[in-house]
Amino acid sequence: MAARDKHGPDAPWGDGFKVIGKPNRKVDALAKATGEAIYTDDISLPNMLHSKTLRSPHAHAKILSIDTSKAEALEGVYAVLVGSELPIKYGVIPWTPDENVLATDKVRFIGDEVAAVAAIDEDTAIEACELIEVEYELLETIVTAEQALVTPEPPIHDDRKKRNNISKHVELEFGDVDAQVDDADLVVENDYYFHSTTHTAIEPHCAVATFGNDGRLTLWSSTQITHYVHRALSRVLEMDPAKIRVIQPNVGGGFGGKSDPFALEFITAMLSKKSGRPVKMLWTREEVFYAHRGRHSMQMHYRTTAKSDGTITSVDAKLLIDGGAYSSFGLVTTYYSGQLLTGPYAFPNYRFDSTRVFTNRPPCGPKRGHGSVQPRFAFEVQLDEVATKLDIDPIEIRRKNFLGENTTTINGQRITSNGFLECLDAVEEASDWKSKHRKMRYGTGIGVAGSMYISGTNYPVYPNKMPQAGVQLKVDRSGLVTVFTGGNDIGQGSNSMVAYCVAEEMGINPDSIKVVAADTDLCPVDLGAYSSRVTFMVGNAAIDAARKMRNKIVEAVAEHWKVEKESVRIIDGTVYNLDNDEETLSQREAFHVTEEKFDTLGSTGSYNTPTLGGDYRGGTIGSSPAYSFTSHVAEVDIDTETGEIEVKKIWVAHDCGRALNPILVKGQIEGSTYMGAAEVSLENYEMNRFSLHAGPSLLDYRIPTTLDTAEIEALIVESIDPEGPYGAKEAGEGPLHSAIPAVANAIYDAVGIRLRELPFTPAKVLAALKEKDEVTADA
Amino acid sequence: MRVFHLKINGDTVDVAAPEHYTLLEILRYELGLTGSKQGCDKGDCGSCTVQVDGVPMLSCLVLPSTVESKAITTIEGLAVQHRSDGGEGASLLQNAFDAAGALQCGFCQPGMIMSAQALLESNATPNRDDIKQALAGNLCRCTGYTQIYTAVESAAKDGGENGCS
Amino acid sequence: MLRMPKFKVLNPATVAEAVDAIQQVEGSRFIAGGTDINPNLKHRLLEPECLVALNGVEEIFGISQTEFGLRIGAMESLTNVETNTLIQQLAPGLASASRQVSGPQLRNMGTIGGNVMLDTRCKWYNQTYFWRKSLGFCLKKDGDVCHVIKGGSKCVAAASNDTAAALSTLQAELEFANAQGSTRIAIDKLWQADGIWNKKVGPHDLLVAIHLPAALLNQKGSYKKLRDRNSIDFPLLGIAARLKISDNIVDDCALCVVALQARPWPLDKASALLIGTTVGSDAFNEALKACCAIAAKQCRPMPNIPGDHAYRHAMVPVFIRRAILSCLD
Ligand SMILES: Cc1cc2nc3c(=O)[nH]c(=O)nc-3n(C[C@H](O)[C@H](O)[C@H](O)COP(=O)(O)OP(=O)(O)OC[C@H]3O[C@@H](n4cnc5c(N)ncnc54)[C@H](O)[C@@H]3O)c2cc1C
Ligand code: SF4
Ligand code: FES
Ligand code: FES
Repeated sequence: MAARDKHGPDAPWGDGFKVIGKPNRKVDALAKATGEAIYTDDISLPNMLHSKTLRSPHAHAKILSIDTSKAEALEGVYAVLVGSELPIKYGVIPWTPDENVLATDKVRFIGDEVAAVAAIDEDTAIEACELIEVEYELLETIVTAEQALVTPEPPIHDDRKKRNNISKHVELEFGDVDAQVDDADLVVENDYYFHSTTHTAIEPHCAVATFGNDGRLTLWSSTQITHYVHRALSRVLEMDPAKIRVIQPNVGGGFGGKSDPFALEFITAMLSKKSGRPVKMLWTREEVFYAHRGRHSMQMHYRTTAKSDGTITSVDAKLLIDGGAYSSFGLVTTYYSGQLLTGPYAFPNYRFDSTRVFTNRPPCGPKRGHGSVQPRFAFEVQLDEVATKLDIDPIEIRRKNFLGENTTTINGQRITSNGFLECLDAVEEASDWKSKHRKMRYGTGIGVAGSMYISGTNYPVYPNKMPQAGVQLKVDRSGLVTVFTGGNDIGQGSNSMVAYCVAEEMGINPDSIKVVAADTDLCPVDLGAYSSRVTFMVGNAAIDAARKMRNKIVEAVAEHWKVEKESVRIIDGTVYNLDNDEETLSQREAFHVTEEKFDTLGSTGSYNTPTLGGDYRGGTIGSSPAYSFTSHVAEVDIDTETGEIEVKKIWVAHDCGRALNPILVKGQIEGSTYMGAAEVSLENYEMNRFSLHAGPSLLDYRIPTTLDTAEIEALIVESIDPEGPYGAKEAGEGPLHSAIPAVANAIYDAVGIRLRELPFTPAKVLAALKEKDEVTADA
Repeated sequence: MRVFHLKINGDTVDVAAPEHYTLLEILRYELGLTGSKQGCDKGDCGSCTVQVDGVPMLSCLVLPSTVESKAITTIEGLAVQHRSDGGEGASLLQNAFDAAGALQCGFCQPGMIMSAQALLESNATPNRDDIKQALAGNLCRCTGYTQIYTAVESAAKDGGENGCS
Repeated sequence: MLRMPKFKVLNPATVAEAVDAIQQVEGSRFIAGGTDINPNLKHRLLEPECLVALNGVEEIFGISQTEFGLRIGAMESLTNVETNTLIQQLAPGLASASRQVSGPQLRNMGTIGGNVMLDTRCKWYNQTYFWRKSLGFCLKKDGDVCHVIKGGSKCVAAASNDTAAALSTLQAELEFANAQGSTRIAIDKLWQADGIWNKKVGPHDLLVAIHLPAALLNQKGSYKKLRDRNSIDFPLLGIAARLKISDNIVDDCALCVVALQARPWPLDKASALLIGTTVGSDAFNEALKACCAIAAKQCRPMPNIPGDHAYRHAMVPVFIRRAILSCLD
């Protein structure tokens, strides 16, 4: 079944790639450039109602009563919904369902959802929400992670087995960490802090639902996980999933912020059921901030031991993770915070102890580089300190500890291709590292960091042995090939990637391919756009389906021409007879010949992962069929009077296996790097003293403009993964990680201060400079 | 309700809508011109950028009655203009965005393109800094902006003296 | 979407019609570019039944030289102010301040008049109705406490209009019209130290034009703005400087700071120190140091707008010095 068993990374027709590796256009870009592309909020159905949510103004409270009678009486109101009508809990991870569509018994953060109204327009729906009377009994608010650790009562989730505020605790040790301390030539030990940040896709979440009179539900949603939304709807609405259709229109960015099922998807469905009319809900930007699922803040303690030649002998980590009010992906986050650090460097001994707690703030979840960006920051800064203390070049120390390819990490993860050394070489050369590091004038400096990330998770979120990705082809007499894929294109270009793979494999032009994606009625299941899995898995499935189809075409045409199959070759949509130059068929004619022989044409393909992972509890979390590798070099200019950090330029080299389309890969690398750099000093998902988000808007949560973004030079490294589609691995998340520590390390090179607590505000820079001056003056 | 007499993409349209509706709402929900996007609805993001008499403005902050005598151009209008100039399909600039890979999720791009188009109309040979300045009110979360600069630069190059439509 | 409250809009064509229209419904407000009032309306910071749109009033447009000096119609966009060659040449500090307001589209829409008349800002105030309600509102709107000053009875929301600082250094005179007729007020006399309404004129006084006196034109000017991003963001601190230099001697100097408290703050004591010194001389350098030190003493940023107020305070002398020095470039 698994496509990886059947095709390697080479060009399918043995004479080089025709489509792969070329700067092809995206299948949907012109529609987006002209405004034709339809996003969820662009959908208007006849007779459609608009809905709004009443949210909790309290961070932690019991709900004593809800009275909706005044709202129901308001003219223009068609349906009102409260939590008790949908009591079944859900959560993207099936082991931790702790979310209600609308609060049933209590609210857990300011902005938590309490009731919803469908009305003739948004103005009326808002007016009605304000007429809903809710009686609350206030509970103690748990504000910080430390407080949560020592405050079991009141529990934020009182139905959990252990009545405390620990969401997840993981402790794993590989080798003997403590034993290394005495033998080490150097021990570096420090605290680090990574603040919370959020995705801020420019499109706010939106859903449109319509419940037909036939009892079938159709939901359009700006989601990156149609399949999990489908499952969650079936569970919570207690409906036959065969009667639910979930469609993802164009999505205006996700980055992990649309990879949980969200209340609006259930609310619109239920309000449509109740009102008998289609219902839309469009969140305001403020509501998107409350939905959050962004980066967890982490307090991290790291201790690295090393030999004098720079060899790492052990790494010890203790992490406290603020999860916010719900679990979301938190179980996985807690594992990822430790499991994904074991490359690109070999750790002979490693231990991590991670605790995720519940607090009364909007729930954290998976933001680009889920769970591993924070530890990566801490460790790469610590490694830089090791290099400095041992007087080793920071790039050299990274080379020295290189994990290697075709190997296994200390925690049992299989590594196949690994282009990390090439990444280091590339950024070293492009940045002119050797003539800059420790050689630039005071105030300017350069820093390096490296990282590793998964290309998909080896195991689906709910255990099953079915394929992780499926693709179906319909081959039409017109010459068109329609590809059906459950894959979620959220802008990263997965639909285009699928078209390229099918085109390459069949020998046809991407122009003659149409991709139908992310519609649960039409498309075979794919698990969704998360964990950087789509290219690897859907790409492989697409190749699998296309290869089967191509074999049929070749067989039929060979029979038609009465030649050996080896003599038939399809190039750019024309079928050639290698034995006879005169004889060709157009793609359309070839399809006819094939249909005559094989009946109506179609094929399916799929991908599933091999059995992988460490042989211990949690050993499968963090295992991936392949890993991507990245290295960043950042150059900074510090204004020592204002403390402002200007990142002048970032060079980033990323091992994506093979670049199926270099332009799209560069776009991912640049976008990731930009997003990482923004977390250094600008972005901060901050709560104020009222446990309220300090400024839930795009004005106060400051994402960079053109004038705040460093020049980025993206360099592609191709390690040609043996199992990836034509050798490809991910490119959408890995290239975020090391941007952040690279900037931190560049600041050290520029002005000699080690900043370990993000965000690096100008005030912190000034304080550190002052402290350094005092120390120097004392000495 | 009030009837607004608007000139949009060369068409004269009368729209009856509540008086407190913004131009963005009228475009998207009353006229079905959903190309202009909404990312914040209060001036922070630039997704809703349209041109009013050729000048980029944020339609989420425009009261329709204040632009009644003016020519409003939305993203949909660029192709219209391009065709009336004898071209086909998408405009040169829109094509350049595609070719450069500048369109990821595409949500910021109608606004981005409206700003970029206005820049090219006033400055046919912008340098990198001019482009950054002109686009500094359009947030993009996907691209890191580099491919957008490339797109504008290549459109400027290809547009040459003929402008960029 | 972020809903607007319901209102109707009047569209007068003359100043007379405008001052008449604004009186028809109690609580009406003028709307110019709408870039300040519209977000505020969406946040329910005000809920007028009627808005009087000024974009059709031709008399309040135009930038021209007059006998008095320079007249800038209140409805001129910030883009026009920033790119106007007369202003660039005669009032470079104003051009610079205009260029640093918000982002490009907002400057195309936002007017200089609207910038002068901008509502004060506070991180506890410029938020949605839901948000403000969750913390129990505040003095400035719907509530009775201040979250910036515990137990405070006076709102200290910050004047955040970049151009106000530059206009102060130019001693701009503001021409207002209302039902009683027309008046002129020196900009430094416009302000009062009340964050709820920081102007001595009322919301029904129409700003017609800004007049810059000829004597202060054609001098050096600059504006230095502290903000997190290089576009879009309001000032965390804004300092305008004007210097008159003849024969390398500072003949005149004016400084004004915004984004501290309710009113823009002219720093006359500080700026006076520089007058009479020779640029580049030790005396000048000493005076510059003293000027920065006095300014730092006088300016006390509060935790009213986003950003660390201690840091904003630390930046006062740095930005004062940079503003002055950049006049000498
Ligand atoms: C995202 C964003 C960022 C911003 N950044 C900045 C910034 O960095 N610096 C800054 O200074 N501003 C900033 N602003 C605010 C605003 O864009 C500018 O201050 C602009 O100049 C306001 O002018 P306007 O014409 O749009 O005012 P309007 O919103 O139309 O009016 C503002 C106020 O002035 C009154 N008014 C307007 N014109 C007159 C008149 N002629 N007579 C009497 N009263 C009048 C109105 O009644 C209203 O109370 C920003 C706004 C946004 C949305
Ligand atoms: S200063 Fe105080 S009263 Fe004024 S807006 Fe801020 S919190 Fe409200
Ligand atoms: S939607 Fe208008 S600026 Fe964001
Ligand atoms: S392309 Fe997605 S926000 Fe710009």
